[in-house]
Amino acid sequence: MARPRLFAEYFRTNGRFLGITMMLLVGFWIIVLILLPQLSMLDFSFRYNLPPAEQGGPKDVYTLDNYRHLIYGAGGGEGSYNTVDLMVFGRTILAAMAVTVADLILCYPLAYYLGQSRGSGFVRLLVVLLIIPYWINEILRAFAFRIIFADGGIINAAMMGLGLIDQPIDFIRADIALYTGLGYAYILLMLFPMYNAIESLDRNQIEAARDMGASWVHIHRRIVIPHAKPGISSGMTMVFMLSAGALAAPQILGGPSSLWFTQLVYQWFNNSLNWQQGSAYAIVLLMASIAIVLTFMKIFRVNMGDIGK
Amino acid sequence: MRHNVLVSRLALGLYLVIFFGYLLGPLVIMSMTAFNSNPFPTISPWDCFSFEWFQVLADDERILRSIRNSVVIGLGTVVLSVAMGLAAALLLTQIWPRWRATYYTIIIAPILIPGVVLGISTVVFWDRMSRFLGPATSDLFHNGIFLTVLGQSTFIASYTMLVFVARLQRYDPGLTEAALDLGATHVQAFRKILLPFMRPAIASAAVLAFLASFENYNTTTFTFGRYPTLTIELAQKVRYGINPSISALAFIIVMLTVFFALSAEAWRRGRMKMAGQAGGDPVPQRAGILPAFLRGNWAAVVLVLFSFVAITLFWTARSYSPEQCKAEVRAAKQAEAAKRREELLRRREEMRRQQQMKGPDIFAPSGRPAAPGASGRPDTDRAPFGGVFDPGNLEGQSGTGNAPRDGSPPQGGTEPQTGAGTGAENGEEPGNGGNRTTPFGSVFDPGNLSGTAGN
Repeated sequence: MARPRLFAEYFRTNGRFLGITMMLLVGFWIIVLILLPQLSMLDFSFRYNLPPAEQGGPKDVYTLDNYRHLIYGAGGGEGSYNTVDLMVFGRTILAAMAVTVADLILCYPLAYYLGQSRGSGFVRLLVVLLIIPYWINEILRAFAFRIIFADGGIINAAMMGLGLIDQPIDFIRADIALYTGLGYAYILLMLFPMYNAIESLDRNQIEAARDMGASWVHIHRRIVIPHAKPGISSGMTMVFMLSAGALAAPQILGGPSSLWFTQLVYQWFNNSLNWQQGSAYAIVLLMASIAIVLTFMKIFRVNMGDIGK
Repeated sequence: MRHNVLVSRLALGLYLVIFFGYLLGPLVIMSMTAFNSNPFPTISPWDCFSFEWFQVLADDERILRSIRNSVVIGLGTVVLSVAMGLAAALLLTQIWPRWRATYYTIIIAPILIPGVVLGISTVVFWDRMSRFLGPATSDLFHNGIFLTVLGQSTFIASYTMLVFVARLQRYDPGLTEAALDLGATHVQAFRKILLPFMRPAIASAAVLAFLASFENYNTTTFTFGRYPTLTIELAQKVRYGINPSISALAFIIVMLTVFFALSAEAWRRGRMKMAGQAGGDPVPQRAGILPAFLRGNWAAVVLVLFSFVAITLFWTARSYSPEQCKAEVRAAKQAEAAKRREELLRRREEMRRQQQMKGPDIFAPSGRPAAPGASGRPDTDRAPFGGVFDPGNLEGQSGTGNAPRDGSPPQGGTEPQTGAGTGAENGEEPGNGGNRTTPFGSVFDPGNLSGTAGN
């Protein structure tokens, strides 16, 4: 049997046993774990939620009903929109964007400071301090914010003690706890890529610019930010995708009247046991977030290969 | 000029304080709540320093079982994702350049796919597979551990792949070629040359994979089936009624994290110092009070102090009893409640007087039916008036009836969640006397009045 020449080359460098093992592992990962499940979910989202007896029967046909439900609601009638779900969707996307921008603004100065100061003991200490919250469970981080923002929590107690307010503010209902907690949950995924990118910037460039009389704003706009662009876009992509897809923080910190889109998916799946509808919502979430990320990458001219570096 | 430098230094310091306050403050406060005997996790009414929540945690069967599940799933995920990540990273260095970008996009994508989507797709896919392959596979393909390991490995393998790619960039493929030229088989070259070179990366990838698996929620929440992991169990506890035993667990996790972070840092510095000495760069031998391995290594110093504090804390916990303090707090709370009650009674008295001046009380009938049933507490029969003077009732009504705030302490709002402990305390309070002064049921309760006035 004539093997394709490219494979011959591959087996010559790796040997038959290792070559086959590697291909099996990667094949299993890409095909069985990544591609097929996504495709099967996509297929599922176009089907009716039928009892087991009718599955595969004449009623088991493709439909757009699950997607129609998101836009028009249960009635399926034109003109009346499913405002509740659509509002939740819009709010999730917008809030995730706002969280991303807030994290960027909060992290940039620190990333610059850490990246440009030569590794002194103090900077190492800061990095160790940064890593600690990174390994604390997501649930516990949300729980910490729930404690702080509770009616009798430290913030309300402090503000009442100072006489700023005379009765506790319901931070949970106002979603302040949710946004603060979401920003907190993924802030380090913004910081570290930016820090890595800025660290590789040659200090001499900044000093040269300063000697030439460039202003502080100019240095950042013309030198630091262009150099750190892969790190910044990588951080923003991760924070946006993760906050749009967050489930723990909204479940724990979300107000009773406001939902996150992932919670709708969760409800369809676990409470209503309508997997098809849940799949459709999950697909919408996935597609929308990917579309948004790709759009922004196009606008800011960033490559996919920069992500994760 | 110097003024400018000072201002910018101050600004930097302030910014660092705010940033790290935001980052670490919540964790510190959460850890502190583990030691407060107050049944709601809070530090603002600090009752007693107590270790009781650690006992509650240690007695929690579900938590212990879920830790076992987490470890099993974590180990499975480590094996699978390290193997797949390593293979994928090796392929990345060999794949034809034309395909490289596509290939990289596919194997990096799971990091960006929302965990919810990964969880759902895994469950849906294996559910269909089991239907496709027949009932013999049904048990395995619906098994929580099996599904969770696969679902988590899908994206954790991307993390490990990144670690391996970073390490492989420094690998010289000439080494493998040399080994092959000298007659080694491919497997030998892999085991003797490449694997030892990759060992640090494999270790850190394994740790990374285990931790990522341990703390994953979004994917696991769809796949766990009958094997809840620690994170799932925690999430359920946090969502449906919280108590400080979660803080106790958080405290332990924070301590472990700090301990490992410090150890890693101390080890790194120790090695750097040794490398410096070996390289003919002698560390100045100052005569100090610190033993040699601590000198010039702040992480090791902090680590030793930290361990000392932890041991002291543990030792104290074994002999410490907060009963005395708890009794005092209980007494103080009762006194507080009594004072509040008196205040209320006085107000009620005033109101009664005003109404008597106005004439017969027309509001009374509408208020009366609510009174006897208002308290569902078991010991209402002990209180002569159907428990209507129970401060808890008033608080409940003040929430619904827009009554004027009766100066309840900050923890008042949390009482309904705190369960039997405080409930019983509240129920006993009417027995303290003082309720005999107004024999009129709850008709003069300000809550009732404003409730009817609002209609």
